[in-house]
Amino acid sequence: MIEMHDVYKVYPNGVKALNGINVKIDQGDFVYVVGPSGAGKSTFIKLMYREVSPTHGVILINGVNVKRVRDWKIPYLRRKIGVVFQDYKLLPNMTAYENVAFAMEAVETPKRKIRRRVQEVLELVGLYDRMNALPSQLSGGEQQRVSIARAMVNNPSFIIADEPTGNLDPENSWDIMYLLEEINSRGTTVVMATHNKEIVNTMRKRVIAVEQGVIVRDEQQGEYGYED
Amino acid sequence: MRIDTLLRHTREAFKSLIRNNWMTFAAVSAASVTLLIFGLFLVFAFNINYMASELDREVSIRVFLNASISSDEIDQVKSSIEKKPKVESVKFISKQEGLESMKGWFGEDEKFLEGLEKDNPIPDMLEVMAKDPRQSESLSEELKRDYPNQVDNADFGGGVSRSILDMSSLIRNVVFIFGLGLAVLAAFLISNTIKLTIFARRREIEIMRLVGASNWFIRWPFFIEGTLIGLLGSVVPVAVVLAGYNAVVRILDADKAYSFFKLLGMWPLSLWVAGLTALLGVMIGIWGSLISIRRFLRT
Repeated sequence: MIEMHDVYKVYPNGVKALNGINVKIDQGDFVYVVGPSGAGKSTFIKLMYREVSPTHGVILINGVNVKRVRDWKIPYLRRKIGVVFQDYKLLPNMTAYENVAFAMEAVETPKRKIRRRVQEVLELVGLYDRMNALPSQLSGGEQQRVSIARAMVNNPSFIIADEPTGNLDPENSWDIMYLLEEINSRGTTVVMATHNKEIVNTMRKRVIAVEQGVIVRDEQQGEYGYED
Repeated sequence: MRIDTLLRHTREAFKSLIRNNWMTFAAVSAASVTLLIFGLFLVFAFNINYMASELDREVSIRVFLNASISSDEIDQVKSSIEKKPKVESVKFISKQEGLESMKGWFGEDEKFLEGLEKDNPIPDMLEVMAKDPRQSESLSEELKRDYPNQVDNADFGGGVSRSILDMSSLIRNVVFIFGLGLAVLAAFLISNTIKLTIFARRREIEIMRLVGASNWFIRWPFFIEGTLIGLLGSVVPVAVVLAGYNAVVRILDADKAYSFFKLLGMWPLSLWVAGLTALLGVMIGIWGSLISIRRFLRT
């Protein structure tokens, strides 16, 4: 569960990104975060995986106050959260298999467990046959699936995705969405920032709209609600 | 840390040294150049220090013994002085030996001392070397105080000895400060190059952080890499410096005219130079890596 109480974020350069956010996201939710560019979506998302910390207010992740967590313990907090980016952020000199396995090595999983789990996850995202390919040999959609495999390989409670379909054509975008829906159906919370009107209006989920640093709309089975 | 994690870190360190071969080459070269200067300096510093301690050796305490004490008593006093913690060595110089050496000073005029053999006025002496020559003055006072009946006087050479000691400690300090400055300079040069190699891999670090790798897990491979860069960087300079020094020692030894330049032998100097250069290289490698990675680990 993610809870935010009265959260403000002012960046050192004076930009007020968030101006009093109150929200509760339950375990197993699927949430779209929408809003115009520069509205604070990214900051809102980054707060959840502690890439930025709030200037004011309380953020609870599974009941833990994120602001109180000591710096050296943050990695352990992050292990509960898988992150997916628009630009995939794969390591170019590692194969698909190695990119996913890297996430397990990084949290010091014993080797014998890594092999089995990585193959299992790659099978789930449909890339079992391509596991020895380098990112440069994969299409955008395939690369994004590798990055989703990497995000979920350590069994996180949450998947946070920042415009995961932003660089993909409609067909690949839908593949990614079905994959996220599948992951969500197994109990993982999915929070996804997006500009994709078609997806939000077709695959109906909870919609949180952020404008000028505040939540202006929060609806179950919501609509995208913007013209772009 | 588990063994397979440590193996993984070591493997990663080697892999990245090989994968980023040009960066490795740059970092190792930067280390080599600065460590070469440091190694040359070390050879110089060790020799200077050696000369300074040769100077210090000139400072000894002459303890003039009372003419009335027996040779048994002399032995007792000698062994009791030897037991003092400040004392390095004690040498007995009999009155005959004293006279002989005095004759040496007078040279042709030694006739002047003729006839003294029968009734030698020179007292028996103990030549005492302090462990730390700078303590000679206080040690000579201590000897006079502790053996009032056996010792007539103890003389450490006064002003001349003091200026010798001042000189040698000045030399040592100058050399030490210079060496420290050189080490700091080397540290900056090498750590800057390492910063570049780490900057080239910031994406890897970013992803490790995102998936929840602990800070130490991220640091370890860089830590090992820094050590390896330092070690690799010290190989060439150590070889060059020692080979060069060996040649210099041989040339000076062959030409005895220069024998007043007393150079230290190759052993154990080689060990010191190799050890200290490698140690500095490794320390700087590790320090450079850890400093450079710090800014990528801030949350």
